[in-house]
Amino acid sequence: MEMVTRLVGRPPSALTRFFINSGVALLTFLLSIAALDYINRLLDSYPVLGWIAVTLFAMFTLAALGMALREYRAWSRFAKIDAIQRQAGAALEEANLDKARHVTDQLLSLYHRRPELEWNRKRLSDNRGDAFDAQTLLTMAETELLASLDREARREIEAASRTVAAATALIPLALADVAAALAANLRMIRRMAEIYGGRAGAVGGWRLARTVMTHLVATGAVAAGDDLIHTVAGGGVLAKVSRRFGEGVVNGALTARVGIAAMEVCRPLPFIAQPRPKVGNLVTRGLRGLFGESDKG
Amino acid sequence: MGIGSDLMQGFGLADPVIRLGVTGLSRAGKTVFITSLVANLMDRGRMHALRAAADGSLKAAWLQPQPDDTVPRFDYERYLATLTGPDAHWPDGTRHVSQLRLSLRVERQGLLSGLRGPQTVHLDIVDYPGEWLLDLRLMEKDFSEWSAEVLDRMQNRPGAEAFMSAVAAQGSNPGFDEPTAQTLAETYTAHLHAAREAGWSDCTPGRFLIPGEMAGSPALTFAPLPADLSGSRLYKEFRRRFDAYKSRVVKPFFREHFAKIDRQIVLVDALGAIHQGPQAVEDMRRAMADILTAFRPGRAGWLGQLLGTRRVERILFAATKADHLNHVQHNRLTAIVSAMLREARDRADFSGARTEAMSIAALRATTEDVIHKDGEDLPAVRGRLADGRVAALYPGELPADPAELLHPARSGAEKWLNGDYSIMNFEPAPMTLRAGEGPPHIRLDRAAEFLIGDRL
Repeated sequence: MEMVTRLVGRPPSALTRFFINSGVALLTFLLSIAALDYINRLLDSYPVLGWIAVTLFAMFTLAALGMALREYRAWSRFAKIDAIQRQAGAALEEANLDKARHVTDQLLSLYHRRPELEWNRKRLSDNRGDAFDAQTLLTMAETELLASLDREARREIEAASRTVAAATALIPLALADVAAALAANLRMIRRMAEIYGGRAGAVGGWRLARTVMTHLVATGAVAAGDDLIHTVAGGGVLAKVSRRFGEGVVNGALTARVGIAAMEVCRPLPFIAQPRPKVGNLVTRGLRGLFGESDKG
Repeated sequence: MGIGSDLMQGFGLADPVIRLGVTGLSRAGKTVFITSLVANLMDRGRMHALRAAADGSLKAAWLQPQPDDTVPRFDYERYLATLTGPDAHWPDGTRHVSQLRLSLRVERQGLLSGLRGPQTVHLDIVDYPGEWLLDLRLMEKDFSEWSAEVLDRMQNRPGAEAFMSAVAAQGSNPGFDEPTAQTLAETYTAHLHAAREAGWSDCTPGRFLIPGEMAGSPALTFAPLPADLSGSRLYKEFRRRFDAYKSRVVKPFFREHFAKIDRQIVLVDALGAIHQGPQAVEDMRRAMADILTAFRPGRAGWLGQLLGTRRVERILFAATKADHLNHVQHNRLTAIVSAMLREARDRADFSGARTEAMSIAALRATTEDVIHKDGEDLPAVRGRLADGRVAALYPGELPADPAELLHPARSGAEKWLNGDYSIMNFEPAPMTLRAGEGPPHIRLDRAAEFLIGDRL
């Protein structure tokens, strides 16, 4: 798990970035030249095959453009959520009702295509006239729109932390568990974005993961914080029974941390009245059932 | 209601009781506040900022018969019907004391509190005529001080000449007889009524305006006299009656209803005073500052001694009738009220009570609107007037710095320097309430959260 955060969260140096960027540019350039050359020669010798190659190439270009467009739209949705988050912070800070109303409008338009939130949207629209303070209005929006999404996000984090714990405990290969943990974390982060309306593409997902990891590093949460102490201690006891099971619990807890960080990054409002999920609760609920205790739910 | 029940509550054997003191001058909106608070606590659909209501720990509310056998019940149903019925209007001024107890069934969220199961919290509220509150100012004054102050203030108020000439007609060494006393008291009462009509707040003694069941008794038959009559029998008798008024009328009232309050809301109709001019603002400021010294949470004043160990833990200074302003001006109204009650608030803060100021409207009678005038967009409100017309109102821009209002008021200006502030008296809007929703309000939920939220 620490490897995962290191892999994803490491900020590349300027030189590394220059190296990678120039390398990729060079490679793309060479590939394009080679392809052009190849198609030219193909057109000369076998015109029919040449045209087929041109068509395929055109189709591929079109598909690539489509992908880029999708990435761009995913990215702009992120930017929108980011903007809402900033404006909500400002509205709360200044206690500015007009800004809070603007934020509420944007939230409603962000979620206007979610059928499961239809009732909540209607209630929010009906009741928002009662609120005369930024805090009250945003609390209302949070309760109506985000509370159910929070529950969904929490279940997602629990599932991911269970997966990671199980993978660490059960997969015997040295690096395979890191790969499994990485995959589970990336998947969880993407799901967070989808739940809160971001819908990340491939590149967007990766960058989102980077943002989340940076957030984690910035808040100093990768190291075992005070809310992890129980889990680590518990994992320590479990490690007396089985080293791998102990590691599994700790890794599950770290995944829960990543999940909470992802929640904070993807959530369009800060936590106002809704409780911020706690690692302990998530791990307890997530790992229940994995190590014997049955889910009393 | 004695030490016994206090001890029971202290040990957790009896249900906790929150005594909410609703303080405000006449027409400040005490009755409407109480009615709307109770209605909104019973139907909590609009109490978004009251945490216990939003997260569902407040399970149910029930209007109990009040615990005090000798005090009439607050006529909640009638007031609610007056305010929300088809021809809604504001209730008439309160003429007697009434009381109610709202019992709240609370089941706290969370592990530890969840183990304790549901709990009942009682909320006791007293309604009374605001005029009587002014009598608090009399408690620390004697007859000569009070007379000097009243006669000095009387100068440019309506009805003063009639009273002054009645006093002058008594000569320099008047004897005492009951008809004379009655005449003087009547002219003085007429003056008080006229002054109150003209918008003055500090009309003492308050029972002269609303006598209750004591009308005509000696304790209510006296008048202020100038100090040069102090040797006369009339003066001595009036001084005796003034003291009797304090000890027999004022003191029992406050001992019974204001001793032991834990939470206090101070309702101030600042907009109304601003509308009437600088003198009304200064008058209201002085009256409220004087009244609030009686509740001084830190010092054991005369009321403090009665309170025993109980203190007013939280005080909310609320500017009422915020629905007469567009929300963009609410902050300024709040600032004006906190500046007006600065002394009281500082004292409370210093003594460790929690205080807050906000602009509220217990019953929202208007909707927000924008007036287009001379190419400008003015943030206004729209409401229904008493004659049934619908009007939009832009009351003028309140200053960002409250000193711009309070300074001219303190220095005795006759009119506001820049601009006039006008408000209209909107009637409550006819409304249809959806199931589970109380009457509309502005920030009543935040006020409730501040006042009682921590005990729910």
